[in-house]
Amino acid sequence: MNTKAFIAWVVKITFWVLIAAFFWWTISNNLFSQLLENPDQFLGLLGRHLQIVLISSSMALATAIPAGILLTRPKFRKYEWIVVNTANLGQTIPSLAILALAMGFFGIGIQAAIFALYVYSLLPILQNTIAGLKSVDPAAKDAATGMGMTPAQILFKIELPMAASSMIAGIRTAIVLNIGTTALAYLIGGGGLGVWIFTGIQLFDNTYLISGAVPVTLLAITADQFFRFLQLFLVPKGIRKAQKAAAAAA
Amino acid sequence: MIEFTNVSKTYPGGVKAIDDVSLTIEHGEFVVLLGPSGCGKTTLLRMVNQLEDITEGSIAVEGKNIHDLNKIDMRREIGYVIQSNGLFPNMTIEENVMVVPNLLGWSKEKRAERFDYLMDLIGMPPENYRGSFPHELSGGQQQRIGVARALAADPPVMLMDEPFGALDPIIRSRIQEEFMDIQKKLKKTILFVSHDIDEAIKLADKIVLLKDGEIQQFDRPAELLNRPVNDFVSEFVGEDSVLKSLNLYQVKDLQATLDLPAVEGSPDGKVFHPHDSLRHVLAHLLHPSRQYVYVEGEDGTTNGPVSVEHIEAFVREITA
Amino acid sequence: MMDFLDYLGRNYADIFAHTIEHMQLLGVSLTIAVLIGVPLGIYLTTNEQLASTVLQAASIILTIPSIALFGVMIPILSTIGQGIGFLPAVIALILYSQLPIIRNTYTAINNVDPNIRDAAKGIGMTTLQRLWKVEIPNGMPLIMAGVRTATVLSIGIGAIAAFIGSGGLGVLIDMGISRGNQNMVLAGAIAISILAIAADFGLKKIQVKFSPKGI
Repeated sequence: MNTKAFIAWVVKITFWVLIAAFFWWTISNNLFSQLLENPDQFLGLLGRHLQIVLISSSMALATAIPAGILLTRPKFRKYEWIVVNTANLGQTIPSLAILALAMGFFGIGIQAAIFALYVYSLLPILQNTIAGLKSVDPAAKDAATGMGMTPAQILFKIELPMAASSMIAGIRTAIVLNIGTTALAYLIGGGGLGVWIFTGIQLFDNTYLISGAVPVTLLAITADQFFRFLQLFLVPKGIRKAQKAAAAAA
Repeated sequence: MIEFTNVSKTYPGGVKAIDDVSLTIEHGEFVVLLGPSGCGKTTLLRMVNQLEDITEGSIAVEGKNIHDLNKIDMRREIGYVIQSNGLFPNMTIEENVMVVPNLLGWSKEKRAERFDYLMDLIGMPPENYRGSFPHELSGGQQQRIGVARALAADPPVMLMDEPFGALDPIIRSRIQEEFMDIQKKLKKTILFVSHDIDEAIKLADKIVLLKDGEIQQFDRPAELLNRPVNDFVSEFVGEDSVLKSLNLYQVKDLQATLDLPAVEGSPDGKVFHPHDSLRHVLAHLLHPSRQYVYVEGEDGTTNGPVSVEHIEAFVREITA
Repeated sequence: MMDFLDYLGRNYADIFAHTIEHMQLLGVSLTIAVLIGVPLGIYLTTNEQLASTVLQAASIILTIPSIALFGVMIPILSTIGQGIGFLPAVIALILYSQLPIIRNTYTAINNVDPNIRDAAKGIGMTTLQRLWKVEIPNGMPLIMAGVRTATVLSIGIGAIAAFIGSGGLGVLIDMGISRGNQNMVLAGAIAISILAIAADFGLKKIQVKFSPKGI
């Protein structure tokens, strides 16, 4: 083993040791006690958390993907730059600000939280759908048209498979951010695992903090890995291989 | 057969992309649309499968006015090859080649059989490439697949938009030759866009030379080279047009104009075959050390001698 | 609406003070983040295996929800008496900024045209000279883009850090919610958004300036 590989190995081991040490420390100090002693309450908060995430992100998917497809059709292409620029600007606005603004319109409650998270998840999906569809080789579309594919066939057989990688990346970003931001929904009366985190902050109670924060973190990391995995299935093999080859060449 | 009747295309704002083009491409004819960039050659080609609209006039393919046909259906009956191959990276080579048969609902067995046939035709073993993806192929191979894809449903008419334009010269010339062999077998009606006069001369039965959307000359390659109708054509074909045209004539064409006696004994110069190009003969003769060449006659005779003067006389005749 | 303008009229000094606080937090954490991230990113270009480990770790850190990270850091930092306040906020912002900064630096240096690098070697530049005169100037636009992403990200997370007592514009939202003062919440949300948009815009301009002429 050379020095460089050794350094890489040491750093890798250090990361794992730190994670292990963290869990050993939390467990030995009984910091998961809230979770262990009130499993029903935990499941209630987790259920509410997932409910907010699922509703808001399905709404975002159902809006952003069709909108992205429409905006890349010749008829609506002229509006694309407005939408893309607005989406870019919108993405700059911090999540807490969006939640606070939603509360201004809807008042306190789960509706405000769902609406804010819907808007917040919309933008990355929309942006990546448009970027993905726009990156499709015009020659491939021209060839497809020239060979007599219908617009629907071109969309489903050529454009969407070729845009899949970018689209899933957008969905992944959106959902991971959504899970984290849902932890803030407590502030505007949305509930979810954020309840324990904020309770912990207010009461300075580590058992609440850890029992709330660790599950939210695991949820976000799991979602992230899940979509990484999904990419392997949904992105056509030819494109994955081509991307790999291109990356290796670069 | 493709017939253009008084076809024009005017862009909003009044710019004429195509100006009153009438043109008939007969069954099995290979016609090259040639011209500088912006002359409208690609537009004219794309009008045939309705990728471009026509402002005035009409186009008929196989005797049917294309406007009376369903756009999608008629496109499936026309082969289409483009420069940047347009292969679908998400599909395997077999899926790419079988796109149109798939759209037409061919059975799996029929498709597999057709794929094997086409791959043999383009000289790529079907079993080696069936499951490959486009990016795994070289540029030349991708373009061959592009041709196979266009031939997949055996369309009578093929549209080819600079299909070999992006390839390096050596590969391009090889693929051109392969394609000519394929065309000899299949006798498709082909409309082919090129900006390269050498490619046009090599491939075409007839050349359409375009400028600013208007036909300048529609003729056999040798005619275009030797009898340009106007200054634009003579400039486009270049100062070496006569030399280029000698590529298109063979020793037997010269023989037909001369009555060469058979020679006794061994000839004092190289003996050419009747199918050798006259350009080769001329190039050989230009060397100061060589005065005469001979040609193979019928029944194994050797005829001659042929000198530079004979070729000069031949050129006078073809350019008259 | 009038109500809101009225609120702004009476509290602009307070809002301004929170904005300054917010920017102080950013200034400190981003300076440290750049001082760690850029050299690390450059070093990683010489060690492929370490690069993949570090980038993976940084990307996992970025997936951790910010409020959860604060939640985890409070008990840890409490052991040294710094559970809430400025320090945990700075640490969190540094951690979150690492991925965009390291990744962009790493990509920027790696992507320098091999021909340029070859030419620099050919005319006898040392490794350090090459880094300073060729690789960093050529990679600057991408490195700055990473800093920009990190800044916008940090402004948003800095707002959340107000809940653990770091100060800044998040305080307006925090206090506004607990006092039921809509105008205060709105003022905080709008101010944070403007700050983020302005930072994004300003850094984009700087990014253009930093690009060597001819790139």
